[in-house]
Amino acid sequence: MNLVLEFLNIILGFLLLGLALSLMIYFMIDEFNRSPGGTRRLRDIPAFHRFRRAVGLSVESGKRLHISLGRGGITELPGGATFEGLTILECCTRAASISDRPPVATSGDSITAVLSQDTLHAGYASLSAERRYTPTNGRLSGLTPLSYAAGVMPDIHDEQVSASVFAGHFGSEVGLLIEAGERTRGLTVAGSDSLSAQAVLYAAAQEPLVGEELYAGGAYLGAGAAHIASLRMQDILRWVVIGLILLGAILKLVGVWP
Amino acid sequence: MKKVLSIGNALIAIVAGVLVLLGYLLPTLLGGLRQYLIQLAVTLTAFAVLLGIVNLASVHWKRATGPKGSLSNLYSAVLLLSLVLTILLVGISGPTGFWSIWLVSTFQIPVETSLLAVLAVVLLFAAARLLSRRLHWASLLFLGAAVIVLIGIAPLPYFGQFALLSSMRQWLSSVPAVAGARGLLLGVALGTIATGLRILMGADRPYGD
Repeated sequence: MNLVLEFLNIILGFLLLGLALSLMIYFMIDEFNRSPGGTRRLRDIPAFHRFRRAVGLSVESGKRLHISLGRGGITELPGGATFEGLTILECCTRAASISDRPPVATSGDSITAVLSQDTLHAGYASLSAERRYTPTNGRLSGLTPLSYAAGVMPDIHDEQVSASVFAGHFGSEVGLLIEAGERTRGLTVAGSDSLSAQAVLYAAAQEPLVGEELYAGGAYLGAGAAHIASLRMQDILRWVVIGLILLGAILKLVGVWP
Repeated sequence: MKKVLSIGNALIAIVAGVLVLLGYLLPTLLGGLRQYLIQLAVTLTAFAVLLGIVNLASVHWKRATGPKGSLSNLYSAVLLLSLVLTILLVGISGPTGFWSIWLVSTFQIPVETSLLAVLAVVLLFAAARLLSRRLHWASLLFLGAAVIVLIGIAPLPYFGQFALLSSMRQWLSSVPAVAGARGLLLGVALGTIATGLRILMGADRPYGD
C-alpha cells in the first residue's frame, strides 16, 4: 500500500509540474505573439495601482523608495516570497533610476542581501547607468527577527523614504516596520507568505497584499511576459486544485477513498 | 565575455535547480545528488554571513563618519563598537563560553523582549486605526473575530471564563480559521511554484545578468 501511495505521489508530482510548465510555456508564447500595442487587462489590485503612483511621486519629490525583503533565505520554503521581493526591487530600481535618491533594499538574511545588491546592479546595468549603483543600498539589517526590525526602523526614518514595500518572509515583527513606515507619512504596501504576518499586515498596512497577491507583483509592475504567463498559469492551477479537493471529498464521502 | 558569463550563470542555476527538484520527485535515483547540492548551498550560506557582516559594518561606518550630526551617527558608532566587542569576547570565550552567554542574556534578550512589548501596543493601535482607515464588513469581521478569540482564550477578572465565548473561540479557530488558512497557503504554494518555474526557465535571474 505504501509503495502504491509513493508511486502515486511521484506520478501526481510529475503531472502537476508538467501541467504547470506546459501552461506557462503556452501562455508565454501567447504573450510574445500579442501585438506590441495590445495590453492585457488584469484584475484590479489597488495596492499595486497606488504603488506605481507612489514610485512616480517619489522620483518627483526627490525621496527614496524602501524595499524590505524580509528575513527569509532562498534555501528554505520562504524562498518564493523572497524571489518575488527581488522582482519588485528590480522593477522599482528601473522605475526610479532617474531619481536623485535610488531605492534602498533591506533584508534579514545574508544571501538575500547579496542577491539584493546583484538585483540593484543588474537593474542599473540594464539601463546603462552602472555608475549610479551603490553597493550599500542593498543591505543586511539584522540576522534575528527583532534585530532585523530594529535595524530597518532607523533606515526608514533616516533615508527620507516616501513609500515602503514589504515583500518577503516576515513574522509578527513586521508590525514594528509598518509603524515606522506610517510615521514617515508614506505609503506602505506589504505582503508575506507567513500567515501570522498576513494577519498583522491586514490590520497595520495601508495596502496589504493578501495570500497570492504578493506573487502577482511582477506582472502588475511590468516585469515582463513571463510574469503575466505565470499569473495566468496560477489562475488555472487554482481551479485544478479546487477540483482535486472536491473530487477527494466526494470520493471519501462515497467510501471509495480510504 | 560578459554574455558568456551570464549564460554560464543561468545554466548552472537551471541545471542545479532541475536536479534538486527531480531529487524530491525521484528520491531513490537523485536523492543523494540533491543532498550534495543542498550541502553546497549551505556552505555558501555560511560564507554569505561573513559578507553580510562586512556589508552591515560598511553601512554603519559610512553613517557613523557621515556629515550629519544627528543621533543616527551615534547609534551607528555604538553598533560598530558592539560588533567589535562581541567578536572579541566571543572569540576569546568561545561560542558557548561565559562571556558569550552573558552578552546574549544581558543585552540581546532584554532588548528583544522590550521590542516585543512595544509590538503588542503597536498592534493594538493598528487594530484601532483599521476602523478609521478601512471601515467595511471585512475589517469588522476581522476585529470581531480577534476580540472573540482574545476574550474566549483568557478568563476575565471577577467573571472568569464565558462558556459561550470559549466554545465560539474553539469553533472559530478550528473551522473557519483553518479553512481560510488552507486557502491562503494554497495560494502561496501556487505562487511559489510559479516563481520557481520562472527561475528554472531562466526568465527570472536574481543572481544577476
